[in-house]
Amino acid sequence: MYRVGIDLGSSYTKGVLVDDNNKIIDYHIVKTGFDFNAAAQKIIDKFSADHEIKYPIYTCGYGRDEVKFSFVSNSEIIALAKAVFKKYQKKCSVIDIGGQDTKFITINTLGTVDTFKMNRKCAAGTGSFIEEIAFRLNIPPIEFNTYADHASSETRINSYCTVFAISEIVGLIKKGIPLPNIILGIYHSVIDRCLELSPIDDFLVITGGIPDYHPSIVKLFKKKFSNCESPEKSQFMAAYGCVLLNQ
Amino acid sequence: MSSLKPEIIKLNSSDILRTTMNDYFLRLKIANETKTKNIAWCTSVGPVELLYSLGFEVFFPENHAAMIGASKEANKYIPTATAQGYSPDICSYLTSDIGAFLQHETPLQKSGFTSVPKPDVLVYNTNQCHEVVDWFSFYAKYFKVPLLGINTPLYVHELTSNVIKSISDQFKALVPELEKVAKQKFDLDKFRDTIKLSQEGCALWKKILETAKHKPSPINFFDSVIHMAPIVVMRGTQHAIDYYKILLAELDERIKNKVSAVPKELFRIYWDGMPIWYKLSNIAKLFSKLDSCIVTSTYSNSWIFDDLDPANPFESSALAYTKLFIVRSDDIKQNVLKEMMSDYSVDGIIYHESKTCTRNSNNRFALQNRIFKENHVPYLEINGDMNDSRCYSEEQSIIAIETFIKQLSTRK
Repeated sequence: MYRVGIDLGSSYTKGVLVDDNNKIIDYHIVKTGFDFNAAAQKIIDKFSADHEIKYPIYTCGYGRDEVKFSFVSNSEIIALAKAVFKKYQKKCSVIDIGGQDTKFITINTLGTVDTFKMNRKCAAGTGSFIEEIAFRLNIPPIEFNTYADHASSETRINSYCTVFAISEIVGLIKKGIPLPNIILGIYHSVIDRCLELSPIDDFLVITGGIPDYHPSIVKLFKKKFSNCESPEKSQFMAAYGCVLLNQ
Repeated sequence: MSSLKPEIIKLNSSDILRTTMNDYFLRLKIANETKTKNIAWCTSVGPVELLYSLGFEVFFPENHAAMIGASKEANKYIPTATAQGYSPDICSYLTSDIGAFLQHETPLQKSGFTSVPKPDVLVYNTNQCHEVVDWFSFYAKYFKVPLLGINTPLYVHELTSNVIKSISDQFKALVPELEKVAKQKFDLDKFRDTIKLSQEGCALWKKILETAKHKPSPINFFDSVIHMAPIVVMRGTQHAIDYYKILLAELDERIKNKVSAVPKELFRIYWDGMPIWYKLSNIAKLFSKLDSCIVTSTYSNSWIFDDLDPANPFESSALAYTKLFIVRSDDIKQNVLKEMMSDYSVDGIIYHESKTCTRNSNNRFALQNRIFKENHVPYLEINGDMNDSRCYSEEQSIIAIETFIKQLSTRK
């Protein structure tokens, strides 16, 4: 029997299948869309095709209570902290950049949450900021990495607001600023919003969909903070933490 | 987390509160319709005693704006004020109140009013903020009535005799202007009597809020922001005293019988900042579900005026209305908050940063970090607004509050 953790986020629903030794056996991710239950069910269907799964399912995220199967819901922040501490076993700060939220968490030497903060309501510093700009530039978001890696210098994007940032980018394009430099500026804008949440004075862990799909952002974080890591498949860590919290 | 259904345990006094408030509005309605009494509009921590002593019925636009917020109608009205040039970034009490007025609507229509009661004079005190002057100016111009006020400085650190004298002089300067509107002579003894009633009402309100020092608390923040209405609008009258005697008796009875404000009180929380009026009930249920009681708040404690003294009515009014938390420097606020957190044995503090109310958002100048460094009581910051629901993300706030309570549980 395998346990399942599902993080029902605003943009994506992420699931992990975990064995009795707390080892992740499989991962699955689907777009959340408008039906949390349907998204979570797709994860369960995928896992249960080859494995016998155990109920209740452990959930977190915006849709944590919006499912119709037997479940136990958790705070995604507490769950993420649990998974991060299991991996690194030390005091650290975590920046989690998701589709709609950016979170800053400090984890103490006991592995519990000391403090946490979330971004203010708007999309600044979240995945939605990058996605919206990518849509307006007609570039697949994932290609931002390649552009940013070829930047000759950074162009600052000042606006918090996604819509105003796009106007600002249009102005930069009109001035003949190369696109790679603009995209590097977009990445820096996301990083700046994260760093506004709290000072960082210890080991930093970057998690979430954005670092997974935009490794260039992780590289930029590492330039600023030498003691910085981003685990593989980090966007699944909250789902994994849900399972760990309930053993 | 409690497996019980989220529950709001209603105070029995609520029915009497409703009657008390209905009677207050009826007095205003009669004055408005029959013109038998003058009507003054006053800021909520304004010189109400002076007005009641001069025979005015007193209407409070802030109370009215909170009613608009609680009725979840503010966002119907704010855009109307914005279209008239009032920025969406300024006080949403102001924008929702003026917007409703421009749309010829008021929650008082449910109480038989056709419009808000027409003022004969508007009187403000800037001790809370200076936006009240712009707010009251709009109506003074519209109704072509006098606008009078007391200009209290902000960020007062030391209550020096100069500061108090300046404000006391301003109180005195209101008298001849108010006499003209009231068409009656000021009577110092009546003023002393009104101050005495205010003093008594405040003392009762203080006792009521202090019942929350008991574990479990018989009252929570959500009760207090509703039951504070009489101390706001009837301060200086026997009506407030009569009501608070009843409420205090009920709370004492609750303490005796170990009846708590939430079904299970595992965590005790301090709320700093404005209520989120349009989500009051949802947030109350959320805390109840999380076995948490918001035992005290900056907001509901803002109507305790210990220093009122009938022997020195002007000077003590000046002192009482300037000693208020919101008027003071951050160093004073820091000490007050720390003391309150200790007195009420709180496990954590929530700072509601209200987008359009700078003066009631105390986490904008790192106060929260300074307090945490001293007392290590965990804190959570929530972004929202008292009336403008566009500034509030409910989903994000629920996640943050649930996580905060989980965080507190690891410290128990």
